[in-house]
Amino acid sequence: MPTQFTLNAKPVTLNAPDDKPLLWALREDANLVGTKFGCGIAACGACTVIIDGEAVRTCATPLSSVAGKQVTTIEGVTATGASVVQRAWVEHQVPQCGYCQAGFIMATTALLEKTPDPTDAQIDAAITNLCRCGTYPAMRAAIKKAAQLKKASA
Amino acid sequence: MAAKKHSTARRVFLIGTGLIGGALAIGTTLAWRRVANAQTFKPTVKAGEVAFNAWLKIAPDNTVVVQVPRQEMGQGIYTMLAMLVAEELDADWSKVRVEQAQINPVYGNVTALADSAPAAMQAAMTTTARVLGVQMTGGSTSTRDGWEPMRMAAASARNVLLAAAAAKWGVPATELSIEKSIITHTKSNKRAALGEFAQAAATMPVPPIAIPKAQKDWKLLGTSPPRLDVVEKTRGTAQFGIDVRPEGLLYAAIKHIPFVAGTLHEVRWSGGAAPKEVLHQVRGENYLAVISTSYWSAQKALKEVTLVGGGPSGSVHSSAQLAAQYAEVLDGKAVVLKPLHRTFGKHGDAEKVINAAPEKQRIDAEYSVPFLAHAPMEPLNCTAQIKDGKVDVWVGNQAPTAVLWLAAGNVGVPEENVTVHTPYLGGGFGRRVDLEVIRQALACAKVTGGKPVQLIWSREEDIKHDAYRPAVSARMSAALDDKNGVSAWHHRMVGPSVGKSVMGRMNPLAAGDFPPDKTNAEGAAELPYAFANFKCDHAQVDLPVPLGYWRSVGNSYTAFFVETFVDELAVALKKDPYLFRLELLKDQPRFAKVLDAAASAAQWSAVLPGSGKGWGRGIALAESFKSIVCQVVDVEVVGKTIHVRRVVTAVDCGMALHPDNVKAQIASAAIYGLTAALKGKITFNEGIVEQSNLHDYALLSMAECPAFETIIVDSGAALGGIGEVGLPPIAPALGNAISAATGKRLRALPFELS
Repeated sequence: MPTQFTLNAKPVTLNAPDDKPLLWALREDANLVGTKFGCGIAACGACTVIIDGEAVRTCATPLSSVAGKQVTTIEGVTATGASVVQRAWVEHQVPQCGYCQAGFIMATTALLEKTPDPTDAQIDAAITNLCRCGTYPAMRAAIKKAAQLKKASA
Repeated sequence: MAAKKHSTARRVFLIGTGLIGGALAIGTTLAWRRVANAQTFKPTVKAGEVAFNAWLKIAPDNTVVVQVPRQEMGQGIYTMLAMLVAEELDADWSKVRVEQAQINPVYGNVTALADSAPAAMQAAMTTTARVLGVQMTGGSTSTRDGWEPMRMAAASARNVLLAAAAAKWGVPATELSIEKSIITHTKSNKRAALGEFAQAAATMPVPPIAIPKAQKDWKLLGTSPPRLDVVEKTRGTAQFGIDVRPEGLLYAAIKHIPFVAGTLHEVRWSGGAAPKEVLHQVRGENYLAVISTSYWSAQKALKEVTLVGGGPSGSVHSSAQLAAQYAEVLDGKAVVLKPLHRTFGKHGDAEKVINAAPEKQRIDAEYSVPFLAHAPMEPLNCTAQIKDGKVDVWVGNQAPTAVLWLAAGNVGVPEENVTVHTPYLGGGFGRRVDLEVIRQALACAKVTGGKPVQLIWSREEDIKHDAYRPAVSARMSAALDDKNGVSAWHHRMVGPSVGKSVMGRMNPLAAGDFPPDKTNAEGAAELPYAFANFKCDHAQVDLPVPLGYWRSVGNSYTAFFVETFVDELAVALKKDPYLFRLELLKDQPRFAKVLDAAASAAQWSAVLPGSGKGWGRGIALAESFKSIVCQVVDVEVVGKTIHVRRVVTAVDCGMALHPDNVKAQIASAAIYGLTAALKGKITFNEGIVEQSNLHDYALLSMAECPAFETIIVDSGAALGGIGEVGLPPIAPALGNAISAATGKRLRALPFELS
């Protein structure tokens, strides 16, 4: 059954099985490959997108469950110009191999919407994605910088 | 034209040897020979681009386009190698970009092959490496290998660009300067961009020799310009292997037999036949791959199949059994395993001194490390297309030349009909040296009637069928002398050879026991410490488990054995672990300086937080890939939980060419090592790996990540590697800290407090 939802601010209809994970619907049916496959069991967060304001791991999210919802991927963030999170990421030169970064950027974007000035403990609790290159120290600094940029631009 | 180029190259070589004398000439000439070859090979150009040599093109918009023959997997090599070229041209960094170089022997990584050979064979290996010209990324060699030829080639391009400008302006070339890609003649107030002279310069004879800039004249090297890959990796537009989408793409999913090695006997579909989504089935030695129009439907179909296979013959039915077999080897009464004994380092007579030592002056300890998976974030994948006698392979692999050879041989086409495309690698760590996924993707591409097919391994397949870092056990013995010092050190290890396993999978005929695999004992065969009697023995055993190079390779375990035992000796002698090491380094000022730098930055003697309750501080030192690293770890132990709070590192990599990246790589490798020290464990039961995904093969998280501080000790020594060197000392520094905190000495990884 086709699933209709809003993808990066545009209405879409994806013709794919209901139980197809949103990750694969995005990558194969919507041709948006910025959202990455890492583990398939929602353990690593490489596939994180924002659904109705929440950071969600799409490898374990059936396509049909996003019917009528607002879905934003890394492409949606990039399309509106460099976000404060992306600017902070560049300033702190966060990515190494880069594969997990879109997931972290989406998780951070969702965090800062709800918690504009996160403490270290709040960062630890919210950003549970995994990075094998160990970019965590630069990332923590970038998250705090993004919070500052967001506050300044508000 | 070819003949002329050849004679120019030879002339360059001869004049080069004539111009400069002494030892410098020999080293420079060897590097120059690579540059001379590189002058005759030109990369493909797009409209308006001018190619100067194998490494450098200038585009019509003045962009300096650097050909990078190494793979970017997070270590920053695109940026680093581009910096070598940009420095010589005084190029505007914002107008520098990179391209993944084609496959050509001129780009071969000579250093990697030379490094892999035993000392006595290095010259021969260097010659062989030049002929083979294998492009590969590993062994922390990329910058060391590009260091001379890339800078010399860029310097020669600078000379012809200046000569072209001088000819056009009618001024002496010596009066010209370049700044941010602009050539200036101050006296006549003439200025023009590099690119304006590119066409003219490329037709000029290459000047006989070009010496790169002296360090004092560097403007870019030694600074930290923005990485060239960061913006696209932040925008989500960087292309990884899994992202390539050639026209008409099909997808393949794969399932191996449960056993880590063995043979597929039977395929049983639960419904009697494969689901209708499966377009093709490909049966290999130990796997079944299915092809569909969607990866997810292919993966879903595999849930309906049971693979019946035969497990590995020989050892490793279970991890406990293997540990017992290792102990037998160390006891000298091996029953199952047939060890090949080798001595990797020796001076004096350590065994005699230790055997003669009275019991209270003798110290023994046993250590062990488990098998480990690499777990790069991008699961293994390869896209292949075989059409009209041509083969295209898209894969993030650390050895594209090996991919080329494999594809040509496997499909049966000439090498010139094969194109290997190398996108970004979503992590490498040695995992992407392995060629199995490429062989499998080619097998899939043979049945799709010319359509491209993308094979993706699930994370479960990756964890259960990696080429693992081997399990290794060690016994250490030392004799103490009457002057409160160490008179003898004997290090014995048992484990398999990674090199033999890797070669065996590439070409079974090439896999033997000669030359010895020096990675077996690297980091333990020679120590900086002054032990009057020293011996390092390794017992090599054959196991059916596929093995692979894992970040820092042998150093990943030898540093743990060596530096934990050094700490145990300090404790036995009632000496401060830092001062004890310093005393042992009395003839090694370079090592001592790094040790001091770390201890000083960490305020080694300062009281720990919370007045030290549950806290401990540990230190460890290791040389790997020609760099020296010392780490001081602060740990807080709460109950059985180990919290790593701070890691202070001092590193001497000769010259820090991009200091921010040096620091980033030190933290990166240390975090990789902390995952191994705190969590990493691949175990076997009945020949089957017991772990399956990132929930039971867990990785360090942001919440668990300590604070990092890294001090660069610029010794000016020859360049060392940087991508792996932050890993070896982290486990022993942490273990030593845990011992300081709890009084408990943990001798097996991963650390578990009971």
